[in-house]
Amino acid sequence: MIQVENLNFTYPKNDTSTLKGLNFEIAKEEVFGFLGPSGAGKSTAQKVLYKILRNYQGSVKIKGKNLSEWGKEYFEKIGVGFELPNHYLRLTGKENLDLFASFYQSGERKNLSSLFEMVDLTDAMNKPVETYSKGMKMRLNFIRAIQHNPDILFFDEPTSGLDPVNAYKIKQHILDLKSQGKTIFVTTHSMETADNICDRVAFIVNGKIQATDTPQNLKSDYGKEAVKVELEKGFIKEFPLSKLGENPDFLSFLGQGEVKRIHTLEATLEEVFIKVTGQSLKA
Amino acid sequence: MNKTLKLSVADIKIIFRDPSLKSFVFLPILLFALIIWGVPPLVEKYDLLTPYLSLFLVVAVIENTQMFCFISTMALIDEKETDIAKVYGVVPLTKTEYIFSRFLIPYLFTVLLNVIMFTVQPLFEISFGTGILISCLAALVVPVYVLSINSIAQNRMQGMVYVKAFNMLVLIPITAFFVPENIKHLFSVFPTHWIFQSIENVTMGKDMTLVFGVGLVVFIILIWLTSRLFIKRHFV
Ligand SMILES: Nc1ncnc2c1ncn2[C@@H]1O[C@H](COP(=O)(O)OP(=O)(O)OP(=O)(O)O)[C@@H](O)[C@H]1O
Ligand SMILES: [Mg+2]
Repeated sequence: MIQVENLNFTYPKNDTSTLKGLNFEIAKEEVFGFLGPSGAGKSTAQKVLYKILRNYQGSVKIKGKNLSEWGKEYFEKIGVGFELPNHYLRLTGKENLDLFASFYQSGERKNLSSLFEMVDLTDAMNKPVETYSKGMKMRLNFIRAIQHNPDILFFDEPTSGLDPVNAYKIKQHILDLKSQGKTIFVTTHSMETADNICDRVAFIVNGKIQATDTPQNLKSDYGKEAVKVELEKGFIKEFPLSKLGENPDFLSFLGQGEVKRIHTLEATLEEVFIKVTGQSLKA
Repeated sequence: MNKTLKLSVADIKIIFRDPSLKSFVFLPILLFALIIWGVPPLVEKYDLLTPYLSLFLVVAVIENTQMFCFISTMALIDEKETDIAKVYGVVPLTKTEYIFSRFLIPYLFTVLLNVIMFTVQPLFEISFGTGILISCLAALVVPVYVLSINSIAQNRMQGMVYVKAFNMLVLIPITAFFVPENIKHLFSVFPTHWIFQSIENVTMGKDMTLVFGVGLVVFIILIWLTSRLFIKRHFV
């Protein structure tokens, strides 16, 4: 659905390039994530893909067609969830959505009340956006991005500024969109979000992709394929995961007393990130 | 077409929810009052003003354009500052359609104000058709002014500074009324000069075709240039 080859981008006023030869592709019905620290170039890459930034170098193909060959019909097919809330503060949530919906060909639009209900904004629907909290505005961003039922979705930090409950809900909605066949590109500096929703993630630092794989592969590549068992008595021992059920040492260890806890030794995505890139996500 | 109209209407709705912009609607009413009841007694009292009678009309016409110059400038700067401009960058609306819809109502409204002005002013006999023509030309100041400021100003503060500067700039060619005839076209670098000269010619009973024609071409070129610049800067 999306193919990017050797993408370079330099902001007009800068000397050095912000994106340095990115290569990735995103399939239909896939959630692809850019995970990286602040300033890595995540938003910049998305802005190139949704045509706000021009004059990039490299090749970007959407549905097999060069990005530059797409005209305004491209925007019928994509939805953008911006990084920061951007709405007319004096209009109500509903008026904001109605205004932007009016630019799309009619017929495809989702039901407005169910969109507001989906992100728990039903009560706020007819109130001016200036009375919304940051999290409410972000949720309005989310439903604005999907209201015209686009095939391709860009979400720039979709869970930032949201409380855990709402962040969880947004992540579920993104997974629902995937199951409806959408192609989804998210950016995040939260390893948890990346781990929860992405089919594949790319680690991006300083405008370069350092690794791309499924969260599962990344974690097992860099962690140990083993479990650690801790008994109430204080004994601790590690066992390899393979053929664990047939491992006599493991079975006899379990017999030695009450088990306090058992956990796998796969790395967290954050640990993998630090190992691969030599940088922390919080930097 | 339908969507550009919708945006035009929404634009006006947004403006009129903003109390600070709404108050500017009183400017033209004040102008009408001055031209109808203020100027005639003044000229009657001070004879030396008579040769400059057309100047009052010129100033009134240009000031009528300033209402939407200010309102639209501020509305667009606000949109850029709040990042709403970016949303317009990702909807299926060409940049030309966007510009067209943002200026449709401000333009037509400004034309209307000046048509009313030409009709109610008691200073000169000016035909309805000529009034309309000059009003259409004068209202082209609005897009040029707004697109220019929005291409250069980064924020509201800078916007206010440019608004002050541009308010002066549009008035500078009135100086041409005080200089000898043979050098007055030195002011032709200021686009509003051509509007002013059209009005002067009409008030003196002369033909305005040439100055009007030049003015029209100048404004069309300026709209094209400022649109290019605006499109490059506004949506990022
Ligand atoms: N308009 C701009 N002009 C010049 N440089 C810019 C501009 N926008 C971003 N940059 C630079 O490009 C780099 C990447 O920025 P970008 O916003 O893509 O990072 P990001 O990965 O999205 O970070 P964050 O997690 O903070 O959102 C930064 O060094 C930033 O300073
Ligand atoms: Mg970003």
